[in-house]
Amino acid sequence: MNSRERLLSALKGNKVDRLPCICPGGMMNMIITELMEKTGIMWPDAHTDANKMADLAMAVYEYGMFENYGVPFCMTIEVESMGAGIDMGSKMFEPHVVDYVIDSVSDYKKLKVTDVNSGRAKVTTDAISILKNKGHGVPIVGNLSGPISVASSLMEPVTFYKELRRKKEDVHEFMGFVTNQIIEFGQAQVKAGADVIVISDPSGTGEILGPKYFEEYAVKYINMLIDGIREVDENFPIIVHICGQMRSVYCEIKELKADAFSFDTVVGIKEIREHMGDKILMGNISSFALESANEEKIKKMTENAINSGINIVSPACGLGTQSPMKNIQAILKTVKGED
Amino acid sequence: MSKSKEELLKQLSDCVFEMEDEEIISVAQEYLDAGYDPLEGITEGLVDGMNRAGVMYEEEEYFITDLLICSDAMYNGLDILKPHLPQKNLEGEKTYKCVIGVVEGDTHDIGKNLVKIMLETAGFEMYDLGRDVPLRNFIDKVKKVDADLVCLSTLMTTTMPGMKKVVEMLKEENMYENTKVMIGGGPISQTYCDKIDANGYSPNAVEAVKLAKLLVGMGIPA
Repeated sequence: MNSRERLLSALKGNKVDRLPCICPGGMMNMIITELMEKTGIMWPDAHTDANKMADLAMAVYEYGMFENYGVPFCMTIEVESMGAGIDMGSKMFEPHVVDYVIDSVSDYKKLKVTDVNSGRAKVTTDAISILKNKGHGVPIVGNLSGPISVASSLMEPVTFYKELRRKKEDVHEFMGFVTNQIIEFGQAQVKAGADVIVISDPSGTGEILGPKYFEEYAVKYINMLIDGIREVDENFPIIVHICGQMRSVYCEIKELKADAFSFDTVVGIKEIREHMGDKILMGNISSFALESANEEKIKKMTENAINSGINIVSPACGLGTQSPMKNIQAILKTVKGED
Repeated sequence: MSKSKEELLKQLSDCVFEMEDEEIISVAQEYLDAGYDPLEGITEGLVDGMNRAGVMYEEEEYFITDLLICSDAMYNGLDILKPHLPQKNLEGEKTYKCVIGVVEGDTHDIGKNLVKIMLETAGFEMYDLGRDVPLRNFIDKVKKVDADLVCLSTLMTTTMPGMKKVVEMLKEENMYENTKVMIGGGPISQTYCDKIDANGYSPNAVEAVKLAKLLVGMGIPA
């Protein structure tokens, strides 16, 4: 099996010769400073240049870190396309939002409509096309920020969270609009040649919203997003990454139409397995350990994840850019059974 | 017949706890009009309600969105009661000062805002530097206001090293002994806290208050 076949089989619950080992990109960052220095391709340049983005994504595979290509390297393309101001960050920091667009959910009509043929949305889909043309049998992972995270980056999040309760109708209109823009970007990634889409919604967790709002706002619009992406291809594989503690929302998470679930290091694999039945689970090597522990420790953690019944091995969260490459490589070595 | 003080204090507390951010305005006014002590209205009414909400949060009955609305109610009540407080602090009573912010590179500030609200509720004098704060600004502000505590928050793995730098800067400027450093946020853990020599980590806003009091010795007789 090549890496692409292995990941796609695992996602559909089919047999694999061994577990896949990936790190998606997007919120689940897999770019480290060491890799940038080795390749000479630096952030923030790689966020705005399709060739650099593709080359840096390929380097992750070539240096034996993970068995996938993944783009983009941030969570800000969706909000930028709707008008938010972005600081492009540095070789240490990811791009982040510095200017909100609206003051209230009721103002959502002031937002720009996403144009996937311009800006960094185009950079991303171009990068996917470049990766597709390389045809290495390496799966290409496209990344999307989830609806709540996008919505709460277009305006002051405290106001947004309060309006979830106070302006329900307007919030739903706003969320519908936002989700449609993300769908545009997602569909463009699929058409460009992505094999899998990962949706991360760190601002829409059960811890923040509680089960009621998690169902009403997070589940509803993530499912709308999944349905929208699958208008292009009805069986298109989708992974949803859930941040933080999940225990208050296990029931609601099961309603998500994703093929697989990725989760944080605070959630034990055995615990989540108990609640999620035979769902495909991806995770959850501590990104803190990857930055600060040694290879021996990471080997043990990886073995432990495999023995606990994980289906796809990956970090639990985005990598810190200061993580040493040899620590990252230790995961894949262990998965492959190399010493 | 006008309501008793206890009755109104209970109503103030309930308004915060039950997220009645509009009703609380008239209740606070009624409390003042009856001639009752505004300080007690804050501590036994508003803060009591916020503390009850905090307990529900710990029990996972309330969530962050709930606490935000409770705090709106509390602040609406404060707006009415605060102008009627005596101007000067009681003599000999120490004010604990706390600088708080989200470290450079990150703009996620929901957790920081919540911790700020809860610490303010607990009586800390808060200096909020906001989000995406250049690390040097923490040191400068701590110096300027002579803060007892600095709280650093981030939700991103990539910006965690900024916390370590702040601790190092405090050490370099010989401020580490007198200023306690508290850290928190999604990817942060006690292990990380120990590793970078911060004084404490708390997983949520309610724990943060207990920890902050402990670190600065608030409520402990000198």
